Amino acid sequence: MPGRRVAVTGLGVICALGKNTSEMCSALRAGRSGISPLQLVDPAKLRFQNGAEVRGFDPGEHFPGSLQDHLDRFAQFSVVAAREAIQDSGIPFSDELREKTVIATGSCVGGQTTQDTGFVDLYQRGRGRVHPLTIPKVMANAGAGHISMEFGITGPAFTVSTACSSANHAIGQAFQMIRSGAAEAAITGGAEAPFSLGLLKAWEAMRVISPDTCRPFSKNRLGMILGEGAGMLVLEPLEAARSRGAKIYGEVVGFGMSADAHHLTAPSAQGAASAMRRALSDAAIEPQQIDYINAHGTGTAANDPTETRAIREVFGAHADRLAVSSTKSMHGHGLGAAGALEAIATFLALREGFLPPTANYAEPDPECDLDYVPNESRPAQVEWALSNSFAFGGLNAVLAFRTHPR
Amino acid sequence: MPDEVAGKIISMLAAIKHVPVEGITLDSSLQEMGIDSLDTFTLLFDLENEFHITIPDDEAKSIRTVNDVVVGVKRLIAAAGDGSSSVDSSMSAD
Repeated sequence: MPGRRVAVTGLGVICALGKNTSEMCSALRAGRSGISPLQLVDPAKLRFQNGAEVRGFDPGEHFPGSLQDHLDRFAQFSVVAAREAIQDSGIPFSDELREKTVIATGSCVGGQTTQDTGFVDLYQRGRGRVHPLTIPKVMANAGAGHISMEFGITGPAFTVSTACSSANHAIGQAFQMIRSGAAEAAITGGAEAPFSLGLLKAWEAMRVISPDTCRPFSKNRLGMILGEGAGMLVLEPLEAARSRGAKIYGEVVGFGMSADAHHLTAPSAQGAASAMRRALSDAAIEPQQIDYINAHGTGTAANDPTETRAIREVFGAHADRLAVSSTKSMHGHGLGAAGALEAIATFLALREGFLPPTANYAEPDPECDLDYVPNESRPAQVEWALSNSFAFGGLNAVLAFRTHPR
Repeated sequence: MPDEVAGKIISMLAAIKHVPVEGITLDSSLQEMGIDSLDTFTLLFDLENEFHITIPDDEAKSIRTVNDVVVGVKRLIAAAGDGSSSVDSSMSAD
């Protein structure tokens, strides 16, 4: 699709791998997993024990007391990640630029912890009312709202909710707006803080959560591990980034979307393949140019072989020359934040010249027979990459990136 | 003597698939009945609620026929109680 080239000039993250991009990058390089025993919820009440939580997060370090009361944990993560990304980019926000900046965030369930607390008050403690700020704390767009207020952004601002594809859809929309000239800068990504008992019980009932760890593509995989956090990227036209001498991680070059029209929860190889093909076509690149795919790679029985088949369908013989890894093995399944965490993992690693591994890889599965970069990161000079997100409801979103290795 | 557990399970399956109970026997294959992953989640949830048992994930993955379900449920009921087939026993985590 013709239009302006779109550069990635700032990254910000908070997740199980660290409080910032530097910590996350070190963890990715070391193949270190952030999956550990749950602390935010009592695991005695659950059939699974582990999660990829943000450790030692003190809202008081980031927000004054009065503001803390206005922000659910997921919105706090959103703002913290946005701050790092904006600082990292050095983007000079004039009044004019603020009017032309788009904020596009993704989140599945928004302020779930606040909602859970409200329900406990109402249904368990028999209180007649909930906290008056429950609505603006729970709403999935709270992150975008607070980012706009903190930075005085008055351009288009919205939140996308497409389950596990939310952040990819949001980043894709922001990319399209800059490419077309509808916006001159973007703060885009996703956030999720799903560790409340009610939501974890809902996941437990679907029997897709691993009782131990997340082993994407391994024969002995037992399911996914939930993660929390936020990832935000700053996008701007490549020309504008170059003319102000910005650091450039790379570019977003294509965005492909599809719907499976198949099943409410089970994935479809055809739908996934279609989204990947559309991303490549949108980027005007050939499958053979791709060297790395950051997989959706949840570690469930269904996703991993289906995604493998879809990759083989799209890439043919070239599939055997691809490196495919799932960083969910380290930062968990960030749900609405997943696409953002994975985009950031991809840009961080590829800029530093290494492939992030699939951690906890134990046993090859004949149905998953690609190079998954098992357990150890690997030096590589990669220019073109894809990042996959495939959601419940069969809603798929794939981003294509061009990285600028140092 | 009618098998109360089997009868309840067959009623549950009939309700999930919106079919008459008469069409379901102990030999019926869940796959042939069109029980997919979503139906399975619902069935396990209903079984746990009705019989006050906890069905481990790996046991859930091995069921193929209605009889597999009946046998598994009876075993969990017996393990949860004092060895009798009381449906009031509970191993629920909450």
